[in-house]
Amino acid sequence: MSLLAQGLALGVLTGGLYALLASGLSLYFGVMRVVMVAHPAFLFLAAYLTYTAHTVFGVDPFLALPVTVPLFFALGVAVQRLLIARLAPENVAMMSVLLTFGLALTIEGLLGTFYTGSYKSISMDYATRSLTVAGVHLPYDKIIAFLVAALTLGVLFAVLVKSRFGQALRATIQHREAARLVGIPTERVAGHGFGVGLATAAAGGTVLALITPFFPASHWVWIGKLMAVIVVGGLGSVTGAALAAVLLGVVEGVVLVTVDATWATMMFYVFLFLALLVRPQGFFGGRLAHRF
Amino acid sequence: MRTVSRGLPLLAGALAIAYPWLVPNYYLVYAGALTVMYAAMSTSWNLLGGFTGYVSLGHSAFFGLGAYGTGLLVVRLDVPWLVALPVSALLVTLFAAGVGIAAVRVRGASFVIVSIALVSMMNLVVQGWRSLTGGSTGLQVPSPFPGLHRGQTHLVFFYLFLVLLGVALLAWWQISRSRFGAGLRAIREDEDKAESLGVPTAAYKVAAFALSALFVALAGGLYALWFGSLDPIFVFSILIGSSMVLMSLLGGVRHLLGPLLGALIVAPAGEYFLIALGETQIHLTATGLVLVLVVLFMPEGILARFARRRAGPSIPDESADQRLQGVSS
Repeated sequence: MSLLAQGLALGVLTGGLYALLASGLSLYFGVMRVVMVAHPAFLFLAAYLTYTAHTVFGVDPFLALPVTVPLFFALGVAVQRLLIARLAPENVAMMSVLLTFGLALTIEGLLGTFYTGSYKSISMDYATRSLTVAGVHLPYDKIIAFLVAALTLGVLFAVLVKSRFGQALRATIQHREAARLVGIPTERVAGHGFGVGLATAAAGGTVLALITPFFPASHWVWIGKLMAVIVVGGLGSVTGAALAAVLLGVVEGVVLVTVDATWATMMFYVFLFLALLVRPQGFFGGRLAHRF
Repeated sequence: MRTVSRGLPLLAGALAIAYPWLVPNYYLVYAGALTVMYAAMSTSWNLLGGFTGYVSLGHSAFFGLGAYGTGLLVVRLDVPWLVALPVSALLVTLFAAGVGIAAVRVRGASFVIVSIALVSMMNLVVQGWRSLTGGSTGLQVPSPFPGLHRGQTHLVFFYLFLVLLGVALLAWWQISRSRFGAGLRAIREDEDKAESLGVPTAAYKVAAFALSALFVALAGGLYALWFGSLDPIFVFSILIGSSMVLMSLLGGVRHLLGPLLGALIVAPAGEYFLIALGETQIHLTATGLVLVLVVLFMPEGILARFARRRAGPSIPDESADQRLQGVSS
């Protein structure tokens, strides 16, 4: 029983992190109908940059964020304006996957060349202990990850719901032509949407660097996991992705403590295939998947 | 013109057969065999990707399964390799048909996601099922030709892969002239219209998926017998799948010889990178950048450019008067 509680608690904490990692993917799909396979590669690019900041300058991983977040925002805008926007519109779904796949390979190769293929990790004193509540051990690094994810997602939601930019972005996602008719510069908004998506990757990468060792090819595992999250959640729905992230995090956590790690990872693919077979529009969100 | 277009394939075929005897060393025979293997694989990838437009990044799943199937039959059940190879390929084809029924229900980006997930799943299964497959330490397959030295083995496998390539090209050519091929092309252009015109789209897509898996699995099986040691991380790597896509796109997915041309460019370039730069990861960057450039600037491939230039405008450029004269005479 306590084992199950342990699995549940860890699952909720990890699920929160998955929600952050997948939120960018939902944004890209929302604004451009693009499946961005390179998102996990960018996550690990951020993780490696954080690692450099930590080892070379000796700063706390989170102090790298004021640099990496704006940098990744600019990168995101550049990727959208210079690459994605150039694709022929009739085949954008297929070609964008291949294009971002090429980007992922490019990043992986660069990381492997500069940092070698061996494992890297960042361990902070404050992240190695764990908190014990009613017999359930909660490692501090997982708690920190959850809090950072919750904070980032909170800011993201506030921006999307309250700000003028957020309203323009949501309008672009809901109906591009109509948004353009009421005077929204949809091209620029889409670029900024990509920027925001990649900025979440900067935050997510820093957290990943803190909780898990990583190597250049790590991102492949995450492509499958995060794709499962956004497909189960309903492509394009940030809320759906967040709910699915927690659901899959809990399932993974419970299977991890009751069966083993292979099956825990396998659950993502099982849910992915189930979602595609039973409800291709996703379990949450449904027909309104593109609204928030 | 007609004799040229007939003679050229014959000449190319003769050159391919003579290749191992024209090169100075066994390394180049090895590189040639590798190139022909990739050519056979991308040609069979194109049975699905070229006809239907369904881009699968996960064909390395069938390559790996074909390799492990053949290897396990030989090692665990002592089946002779000549039997193990086709049996394993047939099993993979059946498996692909089963997967295909689920996978081709989704289109576009979702299909690509499914294909990536398929490779990751197979990788997990093979690494996790330690007692059968040897897990991440890999599987050792005895050489089918113990009497030959390493270079002679490369020579034999060069011809085996060449036969496979020939069969795959023949299959593509036959399908492209058949009703089946026309149906698959209709799916690529507009799946809903094809369906409404009575093309059995679901069955056609599953058939194309399984057929393209069959040849890739055969290539995988030959690879297992050739290299003799299987590393699950390599044979189920997404990189092999993406090589097939890159080669096909670069050459031109709508042309019989497109994937072959792509393989003739990409595979030697990859080998050259390996020699010039050593075992670094920068070849991934090179592959990635080429893929980005091809997708951005040449999504129809090299052959499409040449074909368009040679064929000229599709409607003959003549005045109504000239055409009337042509009719009356």
